[in-house]
Formats: sequence, C-alpha cells, structure tokens
Amino acid sequence: MIGCVIRAWIILAVSLLGSMASAAAPYERLLSDEANGADWLSYSGGYRAERFSPLTEVNKENVEHLKVIWAYQMQPTDIAGAGLQESTPLVVDGVMYLTESPSSVTALDVTSGRMLWHWAPDISADVLHIGFPKVNRGVAILDNTLFVATLDAQLYALDAGTGAVRWHTQVADNATGFSLTLAPLALNGKVIIGMSGAEAGVRAYIDAYDAHTGKRLWRRFTVPAPGEPGSETWGGESWQTGGGSTWLTGSYDPELDLLYWTTGNPAPDWNGDLRPGDNLFTCSLLALDPDTGEIQWHFQYTPHDTHDWDANQIPILVDVVYQGEPRKLVALANRNAFFYLLDRTNGQFLSATQYSKQTWAAGIDSTGRPLLLADKEPSEEGTLVWPSLQGATNWFSPSYNPLNQKFFVANRRMGAVYYKAEAEYQPGMPFMGGGEQALSGDQASGAVLALDVTTGKQLWEFPLQSPPWSGVMSTAGGLVFGSSNEGYFFALDDETGEALWRFNTGAHIRTNPMGFAVDGHQRVAIIGGQTLFVFGLL
Amino acid sequence: MGQLLFKLFGVLLAFCVGFTHAQAGAAEVSPIATLSAAQLQAGQKTFAIHCARCHGMLGDGGEGPSLKRPVLKYAADDEALFTLINEGLPGTGMPGVFGPSDAELWQVAGYVRSLGRLPAEPMPGDPDRGAQLYATKGGCAACHISNGLGVGVGPELTDVGLRRNAEYLRRALTNPDADYPMRQTRLGGNINGFLTVRVVSERGEFEGMRVNEDEFSIQLRDLSGAIQAFDKRELLNYQRAFGHSLMPGYETVFDNDEVNDLVSYLMGLKGASS
Repeated sequence: MIGCVIRAWIILAVSLLGSMASAAAPYERLLSDEANGADWLSYSGGYRAERFSPLTEVNKENVEHLKVIWAYQMQPTDIAGAGLQESTPLVVDGVMYLTESPSSVTALDVTSGRMLWHWAPDISADVLHIGFPKVNRGVAILDNTLFVATLDAQLYALDAGTGAVRWHTQVADNATGFSLTLAPLALNGKVIIGMSGAEAGVRAYIDAYDAHTGKRLWRRFTVPAPGEPGSETWGGESWQTGGGSTWLTGSYDPELDLLYWTTGNPAPDWNGDLRPGDNLFTCSLLALDPDTGEIQWHFQYTPHDTHDWDANQIPILVDVVYQGEPRKLVALANRNAFFYLLDRTNGQFLSATQYSKQTWAAGIDSTGRPLLLADKEPSEEGTLVWPSLQGATNWFSPSYNPLNQKFFVANRRMGAVYYKAEAEYQPGMPFMGGGEQALSGDQASGAVLALDVTTGKQLWEFPLQSPPWSGVMSTAGGLVFGSSNEGYFFALDDETGEALWRFNTGAHIRTNPMGFAVDGHQRVAIIGGQTLFVFGLL
Repeated sequence: MGQLLFKLFGVLLAFCVGFTHAQAGAAEVSPIATLSAAQLQAGQKTFAIHCARCHGMLGDGGEGPSLKRPVLKYAADDEALFTLINEGLPGTGMPGVFGPSDAELWQVAGYVRSLGRLPAEPMPGDPDRGAQLYATKGGCAACHISNGLGVGVGPELTDVGLRRNAEYLRRALTNPDADYPMRQTRLGGNINGFLTVRVVSERGEFEGMRVNEDEFSIQLRDLSGAIQAFDKRELLNYQRAFGHSLMPGYETVFDNDEVNDLVSYLMGLKGASS
C-alpha cells in the first residue's frame, strides 16, 4: 500500500512535468470523472454512466465546422473473424487507450494520433465466442494500471506507461463457452468484470479482483444454486445451465456504495419449457455491495424471458425531482422496448414507459411486471413479435444530459419471427433452442430518441435508415453525437433532434462516441470500420 | 446473451469454421457422407426455420435461389457449403444462420445436398423462342444487361437462372411489383432492392430505381441509366413507391405460352457465355 502511494506520487510528479509517457488515474480522479471534460477515465465517462461531456467549446453554433484532426488505423490481425471494433477509448493525461478486436490494447498520443505502444495477447484461432463476434469494448484504468478482459476469458493488468503485463488471471474456462468482451470497471482498489456465454449455457457471474495482485475478492453468480434466494424460480436442474451473462459494464454510486450491474437472458434463449419459473436473476438489474458481492436488491425487467431480451444495457444514475421529491434513481432503456425508472437506494419500481414498437406486453403493472399478451412465445411454426431478438436497443450506450434531464438512446425498430426448437446442453456448444428471422430491408429502421428522464415521454426522434449498432453521447454544448450502420457520425441539436453536422466515415459504425480535450480544446472520437477518427474545431 | 448482433451480417460463429476445417482435414470425409436419414430429416427441420423463408419450404426457391441443383455456384464442395450457411454471402441477401450448432448446420448442409439430387425444375416452354421474345417483342435489353449486352437500368440477368426459380421469374414478368429482394451489404445495413423512388427537389422531379439510401442521402438510377444523387435536406418530396415497379407488367404483352418461353430462356441463363 505504501509502495502504491509512493508510486502514485511519483507518477503525479512526472505528470506535472508534462511527460506523456505516464498516466495516473487514482480512485479520487475516477470519482470526479463526470466533471472532468479533459479526460475520459472509464467506459461510460464516469461512475454514473451518463456518457456526457461537460465541454462546451463545440456547440450548436459552431459544430458545422467540426473537422477530422487525426485518424488512427487499427492494427491488422490474422485472427479469423476479428475486426469488428466496439471499443470506447479512454483518455488520461494526454494518452488515449483503446482496445482493438479481438482483445489487444493500443496507447496513442492524443495530440498526433501516433502510437506509444501496442499490446496483443495470444488469442487462439479456436477461441470460443458463442453468440457474439470477436469484440472488446475497452479498458479500465486505476492509478497507473490498465485492465483488459480478453476473449479467452482472461483478465490482464497492464502498465499504462508501457503496456507491460503486471499480472493476469484466468477468470473462467473458455472451452465451456465463457468469454470476456466488456470494459472492466475499476473501483477503489478493485476491478469488476462480468461474463459472456449464455448462448453456450454457462452459469454466469460477476467477479471482483484486487487491482494490485489480481487475487479474486468475490464471485456473485447471477443464477442461484438450490437453497439460495431465487433458486425457487428455476425448475429442476435448469439452474446449472441458466445463463444470466453479465457482459456489459455497470455503474456505481460512491455515496450509497452500491454497484449496479445488469444481467442477461436465461439459457436456452428461446425454449423456456426447459427452465420453468421466473429465472432469477436473469434479465435483471442487481445492486451489489462492492466489498462482498452480496445482492442488496434486484429488479427483474423480463421474467422468464424467451426472446433474448437481456438487460445488458447501461444503467444510468440520475438525481432528479421525481413527483415533487428529490430522488436517487437509476434509468435504463431496456431491450424489451420499455424505459424503466427505479429508486436506486432500494430497487423500488417507479415507472416503465414504452419507447419503441412492441407487441408482446399490454403494459407493465404497478410492481414492474409485464402484462403478457397471448401467443407471443417462440413456436415451431414461428411467431412474429416486436422487437426482434436484438431488441429495441442493445449494448451500445445511451446518454444522459444532467443539465436538461434528457435521456438519449439509439433505437432499433425491427420485428422478428421467433422459432422454438429442442435444445440439448453440451459444454462449449450453442445452447439456444430456436432462432429468429428478423424483418429487414425497408421493414426495419432506427432512430435516436430523446426522452424526458422523469416521464419517459419522447421529446423528439432522429430517424435512421437501419437499426443501429452504435451509441450516443450528449454534451454541455447542447449536442447529441450518434452514428449509423451507414457510416455517418453526426451531431444533433438536443432541443430539436435536427442534424447540425455529419461526417461519412466510409464504414459501418458499431461503437460509442466519447469526448476529451487537448490543450483546452474539445475533441470527439468515434471508430468507423477499422479507423478511429478524432474531431475538433481547427 | 444477447450479443446476437451479427446474424444480419453473416459473420457468426467463426469457431465453427475452424472446427470444421480441423474435422474435415482429419477425417478426409465430408461430414455429410456420414449423416443418417434421421439426421437429414432433422436438417430439413432446421432448414424450415432458418432457410425456408427465402429458399422455399421444399428448397425450390423464392426470393433466394432454388437449391435443387447438383452444383451450387458459391459452394463448390461441402466445406464451402457449410461455411456459406454459417457465414452468409456478403453483398447478397444471404445472411449467416445464427443459433444452430455446427452438427445441426452439417445436417442442413446434408439436406441441401440431398435437394441437389432431385430432378431439376422442368422448363415450362421453349427457351429458344424465349430468346427471340427477349430480343424482339419483349425489348428486355432496353433495361437489362445479359451476357454483356443491353442497358443497365434493371437487374443484370446474366446468371438469373441460378438465382431465381420459374415461379419467381414468372411473377417478375407478370407482376413486377410483387418482390423487392434484399440488397444486403456486409456491414452497412440493408435495403430492399429495385425499389422505385420519386424525388422532388429544386432541381426538378425525378423517378428512378433506388441504388442506395441512408439517413442523409439517396442515390437513384433513372430510366436513362444516369445516377441522380440527393442530399435529403434538399428534398421537397420523397416517395418510396412500393407497388410501382419501373418494369412494366408483361401479362398483357405476352400470352401464357410466350411467358413460359421467356421464363424458360431466363432459367437457362447461368452465367457469362464466352
């Protein structure tokens, strides 16, 4: 501990001397990430997960002059199937850290885009990634250490200055279908990760590791074992292959000292007969004690899901006056097409508002439970339901502007014919029990939506040609940055939804925007295809 | 989990491909050769879920080609067929199949190969007479390129016999508004193909076949073959005219025998002739 403190002081001193080679993000800095527009210290730009930039240099009046400052081409890889880029870069003291598919890390000088170092783990060509592409969504930083979770289910700690490995640990056995794609979340002295693998019938969990040693501190299974709370919601032995993946970065309230983490669908996806019951704690939001992993409360958005509407979306922490009282809430636009508000102190359900076309529920009752419509289950002959299994939104990030209390979300508008089939569990094999045929072409579309965070009411929409795979970022300059499958990166007026600026990156965009500053000047970044673009006013 | 992102993009489960290579290499026998009758039947069931919407319940085609062919253009061998089913075919309407295990995909591949052993679809008429109708009364080359000849307004027909079955070709001739097959790009979203669009801007009024479209722009090909491109901000009016194909319906031009002849000619177009 003393050594760490000394190291931190040394790093701070080096930083003050203006070196670009060292970067330091002690926990205290992570706590103020939201207010720090110059850096971007965690996946969602702060523990509240707002994905909001407080910078105003680029605003409604001048955004039309936004230009590419520099671009960076991803490193070629000969790993088959790699190359979809879903990373959100971090920026710390003039250095950008991004991950590249499948699991490598690159450090860049933010003034020029020149590489400082590149680290690529040895990922086997046979690595299992059942149900998702070979992607990685980014690193976490704490002090002078980066944390990257790799596709073959390992967690690495890298020296932020050089990329040298400080420690690594095998989190799970990839041969059974476990994998890691998320950006970890660094808290005070520990790093939190979640698992991918429900499409292989894993029993998933959330893990905490000591940031200095890599020792595992706790493991919280999202599917309870017999006798544990929630185990009564699993018929027979189905809990053993119950899924409940935890593949997206959570959020954290340091005052309440609660960690908020979402969980994925039960397994097998489309054949619910094999797992009778509500299947807790799948498709849920968990509030965890970060020191022990104990569940303090839970809320299940989609009980006994049979459409793969996992809840792996970003939970945003919002403090608002709700029905006359200042409240600490957590907002989540769910894949199931409803926008939910919960009291984040105790998990109390407050409201659910439909934000996208859906045909499966008559509404959500006063306890937060969906009122199911008949004949919407997957079937052998196929059942047409909105939204598609990819949901009304998905992993890509929403954004919240605390200045005007607007919630922005990229919305997929697409139905699908859902099929049910037999499913037999075999370790390391797909375990899904059906499939879908999604409506496509002009039958499917997308939008960026602005919602009033307290009412869920839609304020405006910006239509997209096809259902997007990319997130949004709002700024104090009155802008919402978003992007499209068609390759555009654009800025919308947060009052009207009007497009004020756009840039054609020339390739499909499937990641989130982020922002930072260089010498006091605002920058915005996005990855299109294999290229990272950094924009600013010249 | 729902990172089921890439069914539409046909990139999925690359591990299966690796596994397949290893398996095929070690055994040197196609996994299809070892499938039992029950497994082929299971393959048919999986086919019905994932493939039948485009290829027909019996594999005899629809929006996608008939698979009742001993030779498949993009699947020279069984391994290529497995990969095609697994990953899809970028640039076409064929997505990768998401969900089934590699064993189930081999069953599908086996079922598809079994279709190839069925008798080919018979031609309903005389292809030589059809060729004459194409060149004369039909005037088809005014809007279609085939074997390098013609004007490229509508879809190229050089290998249309590989892509469409008789029923689809007949429908395209007599009711061209019935189908808007998917135009799919690898990662850039997809749109319905051959759609008539009408644009009014300060530059005038334009009608043509949509070539591409996104949230900010649209590109169309007019009847002269010229590309017209628009920023959507400049549009005074924009219509996606489903049900208004630029191709005239030929049910009043040809009698039934002539339609059969022309369909037969088109069925025989299976790639560039030297």
